Amino acid sequence: MTVAAASRPARGARGQTLVLAGLLGPAVAFIVALLLTALGVLFINSVYHFTGTQVQPRITLEAYRRFFTDSFYANVVWQEVRLAVVTTALCLAIGYPTAYAITKIRTPGWVIAAYIVIFSPLLTSSIVRAYGWLVILARGGLVNWVLADLHLIGAPVRLIYNFTGVTIALVHVLLPFTVFPILAVLLRMDPTLREAASDLGATRLHTFLRVTWPLSFPGLYAAAQLTFVLAMNAYVTPQLLGGGRIQVLPLLIYGNISDLNWPLAAVEAIALIGLVWAITLSSNLLFRRRLAATTEHE
Amino acid sequence: MEAPRTRARTAPDTADQPAVELRRVHKRFGKVHAVRDVSLSIRENEFFSLLGPSGCGKTTVLRMISGFETPTEGELYLEGRLANTIPPYRRDTNLIFQHLALFPHLDVYDNIAFGLRLRRLGRDEIRRKVLEILDLVHLGGYESRRIHQLSGGQKQRVAIARALVNQPAVLLLDEPLGALDLRLRVQMQVELKEIQHRVGTTFVYVTHDQTEALTMSDRIAVMRDGMVEQLGTGRDVYERPRTRFVAMFLGDSNLLIGQVEAREESRTIVRAAGHVLIAPAEETATPGTAVYLCVRPERLRLVGPDDAPLPASYENRIRAQVRDVTFKGAFIEYRLATPSDDTLIAQAHADGTRVIERGGSVVVAWRAPDGVVLTE
Repeated sequence: MTVAAASRPARGARGQTLVLAGLLGPAVAFIVALLLTALGVLFINSVYHFTGTQVQPRITLEAYRRFFTDSFYANVVWQEVRLAVVTTALCLAIGYPTAYAITKIRTPGWVIAAYIVIFSPLLTSSIVRAYGWLVILARGGLVNWVLADLHLIGAPVRLIYNFTGVTIALVHVLLPFTVFPILAVLLRMDPTLREAASDLGATRLHTFLRVTWPLSFPGLYAAAQLTFVLAMNAYVTPQLLGGGRIQVLPLLIYGNISDLNWPLAAVEAIALIGLVWAITLSSNLLFRRRLAATTEHE
Repeated sequence: MEAPRTRARTAPDTADQPAVELRRVHKRFGKVHAVRDVSLSIRENEFFSLLGPSGCGKTTVLRMISGFETPTEGELYLEGRLANTIPPYRRDTNLIFQHLALFPHLDVYDNIAFGLRLRRLGRDEIRRKVLEILDLVHLGGYESRRIHQLSGGQKQRVAIARALVNQPAVLLLDEPLGALDLRLRVQMQVELKEIQHRVGTTFVYVTHDQTEALTMSDRIAVMRDGMVEQLGTGRDVYERPRTRFVAMFLGDSNLLIGQVEAREESRTIVRAAGHVLIAPAEETATPGTAVYLCVRPERLRLVGPDDAPLPASYENRIRAQVRDVTFKGAFIEYRLATPSDDTLIAQAHADGTRVIERGGSVVVAWRAPDGVVLTE
């Protein structure tokens, strides 16, 4: 006790920095080392030569040339971005009202029930989940059966092994990641702000448009970014529900690694990382002012 | 300022109509009976305070007037109109929240213009009104500041401006000065009173701070356990408290337990602290009733052995011993013990002449009209 008390004034700001470095250092070093090493290995592999059966340590740009000139890859990238954008948009459209509704539930029991329902996809393995969707969406699956029974459709609707199926399953998996940041920001919002708006003459709609919505924007934005990044990197869902007809970069990477074409897999990985970073950063720039206006008070 | 929103719409001859009226209002939250049978009539242009400890129901009354709560029983009238279920956004009242509730994503101008824009006023008119009200609260030139860049006192002024700019018939204030330090709070009290004079709006002010209520209010309703304990001007409730609770809540009080000896035309004779004491007439004080005799500390005079005798009007005199002396700046506080073992607090102006030492023997004296008999 006395020792600690005596050493405290002498330690000061520099001492505190040292303690912080001591606490954070190992974790940061571990992550940085792994990341840098991995990126280094990735880059080296991307400039090696692939003979068709094995990789040779001979510097060449042929993997890059193939990736950027063959229109097959451009189509894959385009489809992947489209998939991620549509998934994100649907997640936001479902997730925002869901998060908003949860903040309005008064009974604690129902709040817990709502959390369980929303976070349940994360409690199941992604493979089990994907097969579950296959069963539900297949030609003779639950959805088609109900639709046919209600005479809403003549022939079964195709809901798997295409864009629609992958999107439905991805929205299901990613919804918790969309709901959570929005919920967090809505719960943190001072409820008297809504009362103040109402007191000043705002109807519920005006209160939402002028107070709740702008103040929840940072949460919505974080949710969108997280969902988008996760959708871009999804592997199991496009694999199983796409049935080979939906190609995305993670699938190509896996395929090329199986074929031992490490250089091409490395180029595809670099492209995926670059794409995600580019989209994230440019959207940050785009929304910089809007985000600064709503977050700087904290 | 021009006529406010809906005042023009109500009946023309409403000179004596109260701005706010509660008739036998109750509010229950589940099993909690927060407001019990409150009837109040708040006049036009009055500075009215609801004073009481936390949990006494004062904020609930305010929230019913503003429309955030609906009375469980009874009626609420705003300018003669039954208003029980009118939503907040359609009432001609504005509330200044305890924690102000300024919009963090808007600057000062947009905060103040919020209500005006919803009323779809023209851009130029909004601008004129916002700048005018900023002048009134001494914040000219601050319109483009963001809320987090303002000091506590400035935020306070923005909140006042945001409410007042709508020219409400009734301005409601929910302990808005609570977060400020003492000096700023005193300054804002004076300013609020001044603003009220200038805009001539009815103010309903909720506070647990008796000094604040006394400083600003025309009338005060002292609340306790959901009921109005006493209603009157500041002087009324301070000088003529009707219950022990009011006497204790507003300032310091000496309460002597005693019994009524006799009730006369103009005075009550009470036996307390081993003495026969004289107090003003009190109707309910029939002989034999157990009562409290209440005297404010500043009304007690202390006479030491060497002091000049007091005039004969100081009819009540008790011997006492000084137990403690505290210097409080403007006055000196004496804690005294009587031979009957009652404790009295006396306050004397610190005029620099003399201080009676601890252990000294004194006579405590007060005039009959300075006491109050509380039958309760």
